[in-house]
Amino acid sequence: MPGNTGDRTRTSRASRAAAAAFALCAVLTGCSGAEDEATGTDGTVVLRYTWWGNQDRAARTEAALDLFEKKHPGIEVQTSFSGYDAYKQKLATQAAGGDAPDVMQLDYRMIDQYATGGVLLDLAGPEPQAVLDTSEFDQGLLGTGRIDGRLYAVPQGRGTETVVYDTEQWEAAGVAPPRAGWTWSEWADTMRQLAERTGRPGGTDPGQSEDAFEVWLRGQGKALYTEDGALGFTADDLTRWWTFTDGLRREGAVSAAEQTTQMDGTVENTPLGRGTAVSDYNWDAPCSGFLPLIPSGITLAPTPSGEDGTPGQYFKPSMFMGVAADTAHPEQSARLIDFMLNDPDAAEILGATRGIPVNDAIREDIAAGLTGFDRTMYDFHTSLDGKLDAPPQAPPSGDSALQTTFARDYDQVSYERMSPREAAENYVTHAKAELR
Amino acid sequence: MTTTQTSASLRRPERPAATGARRPAGRRREGAAWVFLSPWVLGAVLLTLLPMAVSLYLSFTDYDLFNPPSWVGLRNYTQMFTEDPRYWRSVAATLTYVVIAVPLQLALALVVALALKNMKRGKGFYRSAFYAPSLLGASMSIALVWRALFNDGGTVDNLLGTGGWVNRPGWALLAVALLTVWQFGAPMVIFLAGLQQIPAELYEAAAVDGASRWRRFLSVTVPMLSPVIFFNLVLQTIQAFQVFTPAFAVSAGKGGPADSTLFYTLYLYDRGFVASHMGYASAMAWVLLLVIGAVTAVLFRTSRSWVFYAFEGDDR
Repeated sequence: MPGNTGDRTRTSRASRAAAAAFALCAVLTGCSGAEDEATGTDGTVVLRYTWWGNQDRAARTEAALDLFEKKHPGIEVQTSFSGYDAYKQKLATQAAGGDAPDVMQLDYRMIDQYATGGVLLDLAGPEPQAVLDTSEFDQGLLGTGRIDGRLYAVPQGRGTETVVYDTEQWEAAGVAPPRAGWTWSEWADTMRQLAERTGRPGGTDPGQSEDAFEVWLRGQGKALYTEDGALGFTADDLTRWWTFTDGLRREGAVSAAEQTTQMDGTVENTPLGRGTAVSDYNWDAPCSGFLPLIPSGITLAPTPSGEDGTPGQYFKPSMFMGVAADTAHPEQSARLIDFMLNDPDAAEILGATRGIPVNDAIREDIAAGLTGFDRTMYDFHTSLDGKLDAPPQAPPSGDSALQTTFARDYDQVSYERMSPREAAENYVTHAKAELR
Repeated sequence: MTTTQTSASLRRPERPAATGARRPAGRRREGAAWVFLSPWVLGAVLLTLLPMAVSLYLSFTDYDLFNPPSWVGLRNYTQMFTEDPRYWRSVAATLTYVVIAVPLQLALALVVALALKNMKRGKGFYRSAFYAPSLLGASMSIALVWRALFNDGGTVDNLLGTGGWVNRPGWALLAVALLTVWQFGAPMVIFLAGLQQIPAELYEAAAVDGASRWRRFLSVTVPMLSPVIFFNLVLQTIQAFQVFTPAFAVSAGKGGPADSTLFYTLYLYDRGFVASHMGYASAMAWVLLLVIGAVTAVLFRTSRSWVFYAFEGDDR
């Protein structure tokens, strides 16, 4: 009898253990599997590559990756992409969870945070360096991906800001086109004229844009951030900027608060994209999105300079590629980056979808074959080459959060809930806390 | 929230006096209970209790997701209360929303329930039809449709000529509140069930005494229904404090215009996932939990004076 009981206990204990194990499996399946994905069943290496962008960029990227897989049969690339805001949040969460993709597209504003957080691999290290050739890159731009002597990311292209406008409407209004080196006061007068003659605002209210403010600051010899990452301007500077833009808004020369607040990073929701203004202030690469909305054509004009002619505009490394520090395949990841940036066939497919290429040889190679908006952008860059000052160094970690705060604080001004002075004081206090 | 209930039922039965080497049958059954409960227990511990404990810890730290959390004591809390004007704007927006949306939603739910109660034909159909928005309304897509409806050049603008609600401070919050009010299905169904519990004799007696319809509603329906009203009020208030999806979609994730729809949870999300201040966001979450707890406690306290339990007297 005792033996019998013992047996029963054993069985029930065993079955209990089995049941518990089963339950555990059910709970934990969601958490496993990451390891198995890294290497396919037949020994092919699977890389994860993520980026942000629109459909056009997605189509061209997929085409380029098909070619990559053909040229490197042992490597398979799994991709995913989304809009910038969603991408930024998802990538931060993945990186924090130790699940960063092997290869990721990064923005200038993200480099500092990701590099100092230990997420990124040093691309100048022996393994990646063996396959990633950076010798033909614009060295100034390449330097923007370097922190403390380590190369954490490589720029894919360069972009710059622009005053983009509906060519047909501007001409019909009979207003003189922007001249190279125009100043902010000339820009303001032009906006007033456009508003007067077309009955709609001349352009987007640039008060909400930290990028526009930066260009305005640079035109006065100042900068958003000092070299050691502190705030480079005072509440007085910001008050002057917001007083200037808020005045134009009250005159109706730039977009009303109800229009400005709808901006969400897509060109479709800018006042120009919605057909309620004649021009917009934006980065150049996304402006390709205006063409379906304004089929008669757009023109890219330089951003205004300071009153003494100091250009505020600069060439910014527009997108970076980085590799996760804990990737299982550093060599293959670097190979993918090398392909995207140095392969002539890839360059032909990708065009200027991520900005004008940083590889000098590639840039000259593809120049002749560029058409449509790629051509417009290339010519725009050529017209600015040699006239601009060096880009600022990578912004400090807190900047990506401050960008949103900037637009929100200006909302308080444009909806007339705060004076420019009040909002500027608020912003500066907040920014100092963010950067400490 | 069912934690207390379940753990109470799991409480160990009184153990019989010494039983020697043999394990008591009760204990074996208890073991089996744990095995069957294990998926739920694991889920509750790993996915609810543990994260809550971690978030409590994080609320006293500065944590940006990339670098290890560093202890800052109460700084997140003091910063929230004394140095962050946007935090108070989010509190104001949330309270305004709760005060507008909850009573409106409950009133509408009650009116529709009353109309359905006496309906002879098609009751099932209308009940489902009125419930449908509650199933649809929580989805992102409806919130996006809402944004389009209330945007400038949208349907509402074209019909009423009011301009785009979602771009005007004050009006935007109303647009979000309407989306919530429209989802009155759940409280309506509960009201309907409650209404059907009220004995018909009470109405007959009141009618014999010459009470008007309105009088009957005030003196019979409202008191008899008060436990159900209270239940709905507590439930909807707790939900309203945590509103996120509609505000996120209607304001395109920004809580605009001019922070007028920057609800508490939206700002919490913004601090955590946009600005990468997980410590600050955790502190905000704990304050929200405490505030919801306090508001619920206050509601329970007031309930003593207005909620009427019909069978209270019989429970001797």
